[in-house]
Amino acid sequence: MENKIIEKQNMAPFVDNLINAEAEVIGPKRKDGKYAFDKLIETGELCLDYDTTLLPPKMYLFPPKETLIKFELGKEPEVEPVVEAKPLILFGVHPYDIKAIELLDVAFSTTNPDINYLSKREKAVIIGVDCLNPNPNAFCPSLGTATAETGFDLMLTDIGDSYVVAIGSSKGEQLLTKYAETREASQVELAQRNSERQKALARYKVTLNISPEELPQLLDKSWDSPWWKEKSEKCLSCGSCIVVCPTCFCFDVQDDVTLNLKEGERYRQWDGCMLVDFAAVAGGGNFRGDKESRFRHRMYRKGKYIWERYGKLGCVGCGRCASACLAEIASPAETFNRLKEESK
Amino acid sequence: MISQAVPQASIYLPHLAELIRIEPIAEREKVFEFRLKDGKELGHKPGQFVELSIFGIGEAPISLSSSPTKKGSFELAVRNVGNVTNALHNLDIGATVGIRGPFGNGFPVDNLKGKDIVIVAGGIGLFPLRSLINYILDKRSEFGRLIILSGSRTPQERMFVNELEKWHKREDVELLETVDEGDEEWTGHVGVVTTLSSEVHIDPEKIFAVVVGPPVMYKFVVAECHKKGIPDERIIMSLERRMKCGIGKCGHCQINGVYVCQEGPVFTYAEVKKLREAI
Amino acid sequence: MKAKLAFFDFTGCEGCQLEVLNFETELVELLNHVDIVNFREAKTESEDNYEIAFVEGSITRESEIPKLKKIRQQAKIVVALGACACLGGVNCLKNFRPMKENLRIVYGDAAKYYDTIPARPISSIVPVDYYVHGCPIDKKEFLKVTKALLLGKRPEIPNYPVCVECKLAGNVCTFDKGETCLGPVTRAGCNAICISNGRHCWGCRGPVDDPNTNSEKEILQKHGLTVEDILNQFRIFNGYLEVSK
Repeated sequence: MENKIIEKQNMAPFVDNLINAEAEVIGPKRKDGKYAFDKLIETGELCLDYDTTLLPPKMYLFPPKETLIKFELGKEPEVEPVVEAKPLILFGVHPYDIKAIELLDVAFSTTNPDINYLSKREKAVIIGVDCLNPNPNAFCPSLGTATAETGFDLMLTDIGDSYVVAIGSSKGEQLLTKYAETREASQVELAQRNSERQKALARYKVTLNISPEELPQLLDKSWDSPWWKEKSEKCLSCGSCIVVCPTCFCFDVQDDVTLNLKEGERYRQWDGCMLVDFAAVAGGGNFRGDKESRFRHRMYRKGKYIWERYGKLGCVGCGRCASACLAEIASPAETFNRLKEESK
Repeated sequence: MISQAVPQASIYLPHLAELIRIEPIAEREKVFEFRLKDGKELGHKPGQFVELSIFGIGEAPISLSSSPTKKGSFELAVRNVGNVTNALHNLDIGATVGIRGPFGNGFPVDNLKGKDIVIVAGGIGLFPLRSLINYILDKRSEFGRLIILSGSRTPQERMFVNELEKWHKREDVELLETVDEGDEEWTGHVGVVTTLSSEVHIDPEKIFAVVVGPPVMYKFVVAECHKKGIPDERIIMSLERRMKCGIGKCGHCQINGVYVCQEGPVFTYAEVKKLREAI
Repeated sequence: MKAKLAFFDFTGCEGCQLEVLNFETELVELLNHVDIVNFREAKTESEDNYEIAFVEGSITRESEIPKLKKIRQQAKIVVALGACACLGGVNCLKNFRPMKENLRIVYGDAAKYYDTIPARPISSIVPVDYYVHGCPIDKKEFLKVTKALLLGKRPEIPNYPVCVECKLAGNVCTFDKGETCLGPVTRAGCNAICISNGRHCWGCRGPVDDPNTNSEKEILQKHGLTVEDILNQFRIFNGYLEVSK
C-alpha cells in the first residue's frame, strides 16, 4: 500500500478543497462535550482527535429513516422504487467503524442485494483516521479492529506535525492528487506511525479475555447461563445500545400517506432486537417477550450469528453501547468475559 | 467490489396483483384469489409465502394457500388480525394489491414423493397445508398414503369445510378431524389434535409428518410422532415469525441465527431441536 | 362521504386544541376529507352527529362524567388528546391532598359553590380507542393518528422509550450532562423534543407498556435523586398511575 505525507498545515486546505468540490463532506464535530458526525461547512469544525461519536457513520449509508417505494393510491395504484444516493465523503472514520461498514457491505449485498444501501455505498468515499484516543469502553485491540488494512479509500494517522496517508483505492489516490499537497512518506515516518498505533493500543482500558474466533463456541455453551437473567433484570428496553451500534442493521418497514390521502411512501427505519415488540406478530404473540431472551439474542448476534452468517465480526468493540447504557449492562466485552469465566 | 454489487432493481418493489375472488371461510377468515397484473405465474412451492401490500396501510407476510398446480392465479387464506389483513378483508373484487415473493423454502415436496404423508393441521395451520394437500392430490400417483389430521378449537372454527368434506369422501385420503370443544351439533371427535393419534396406524419406515399449527402445538405433536417411531428428519414443520422484509435483512423473523424468511419457514424437527428459540 | 370529527375539552389548559389549530395549512388540507362538527375553541356552531371524538382534558368534577359518557355513546372512535386526557396529567397533583383543602386553597371563601373530585384520565370513565400523548400533543403524531383513522388503520404509537428517538436525534444523554431524565421509561413519539432543546424528559407521554421502573429508580438514585425527588418527578404527569396502583 502506498503512503504519503500531508503536513498538518496542509490538512485544512485539503479538507476545504473537498468541501468546495462536488461531494458533501461528513466529519466528526464537537457536540455538547462529545462528538458527532455531521456535514462539514468549514475545516475548523473537523475534530480528527475524537474518541468516538454519538452515532456511527453508518447513518449516512443506512439512514435512520429511508424511503423505499412511493405509491399513488386509488383504483389503479402506481408504485415506483425510490433510491436516493449522492456523492459523499465520510472524513475521519475510525478503523472500527470501517470494519462495521465492511460488515454492512456484506450483509446488504449477500443473497438479495439491497439497492438502497449499495447505491449509497458506491457513491461514498471513506477517509479513515486512526483512533489514538480510544473511548474508555472500547476494546478494539481484542477484536483486531483498532486498525484497518482495507475498507477505506484513504487512511490518516496523526504522527505529530503531519499525517501519514495510506492510499486504499484509486478513488482515494485521485482525491489526494487533485486536492492535497503531499509528499512521499519516509521510512522514519512510517515507523512513527507504527509507534503511534502501538502507543494507542496501550490506552484501551477494556480487554476481551477470549479471541473473537472462539466466541461462537463459547456462546454455544452458554445458552443456559444464569447471567442472561441476572444481568438483563436492569434492562430498560430503551434501545440505546442498538441505536448507537455501528453493526446493527435491523429495520422496520411502514407506510405513510400524505394528507390528501392520495399518495404515500413506504419507508424503513432502524429497529432492533432489544425493543419489546421486535419479535411480536400480528396475531398477538411475542417470540422474545422477556428481557432475558432479548438481551441474550443481541449478544449472540454480536458474538456468533453474524460471524457464522457473514464471516465478519458482529461487534467491532467501539464501546458506544456501553457508554450509552444507563443500566450498565450493554457491553459485549463484559458479557463475553463473564461467560468465559463461567465456562472454566 | 461494491459497484459490481449494486443491483438493477429494488427488492422492495412489489408486483401488482388484482383481487379476482373472495370467499368467506369462517368468522375472521377469508380466501382471496389474485392474478398478477403482468400476466406471469407466481411460481411458488407449497409452504412458501408472499409479502402482501395494501398501499398506505403496509405489508404483511401471508402463506400461499393454493397449490402451484393451479395455474393463472393464486390464493391467500387470511385471518383478520392486524392492519394489513383488516384492510384486505375490506377490499372488493377488482382491487389492486402489491405482492413480493414467493419467499422462503417451502415444503420439501421432492423428498415427500413416493412416501406416506401424515399432515397435522392445527387451526389456521391448514392454510399453508392446503397448498400441499392439493398439490399431492393433483399428483396423487407420485405419493403414498395421505393422512390428514385436522384440529380446530370449535366446530365454528373449522377452516375450508367444503374441502374437508371433499377430502373426506375420497378413497385415497384418510382424513380425521377433531375439535377442542364440541357443541350440540358436533358428533365427531373431541379433543386436541394429538388425541387422534391412536386411530392412525402408520409404517414409520416410509412416512413423513408435516405439521403446522399454533406454537403451543408442536411439542405435543412431536412427542406423538416419536411414539409412532417417526424420526426427527421426517418430522416437518412450518414456523410462524414476523417476516417483515422477506429477504433476510430486517432481522424480525430470526430464530437464533436463522432467518425464517430465508432458511424457513419450513424446517425438519432435526433442525428445529438445535434452535433453542424455535418451539 | 366525509368523516365527521368533533373536539371536546374537559379540565385542562386547552393547549392541545390550540396545537391542532396551529396546524393551519395541514388542517385546511385535512378538511377535504373531514367535517369538523364540534370544536369550541375554533367555531361556535356545533352538532352532535360525529364519528370520531377527540377528547382533551382530565375529569375533575362529577358533572363532567355524564358529558363524557354521552360523547362515548355517540362516537364510534374516542381518541384521548394530550396528557390530561390520556394520563390525568398535572391535574392529578391535587390528588395527593384532601379535596376540601384543594377547594379552600383555590377558591377560599367561595369554596362552597364548587365541587371537585380526584383528577383522572378519561379512560377511567369510558373505554378509549386511541391515545395522542404529550403535553402538548405532537403535531406530526396527531396527523399520523388522524390519517390512520381515516384509512381505517390502527395507528402505530411507539411502545419503546424516548431514548430511541433521543439517540436518533443525536443528543448527548441528559445523564451525561449531570442531569436526570424520565426518558428511559417514557413512551416515545415526541422525537425527544424536550431533550433536543436542552431540557430533560418529564414523562408527559406516560410510561411504555412495561416500564422498568425499578431500574430507572436505581439509575436516578445513582445520579443523586432521593426517593422523594423521584416520586415528585413522576407525579408531575403520572400521579394518577401511582394512586391507582
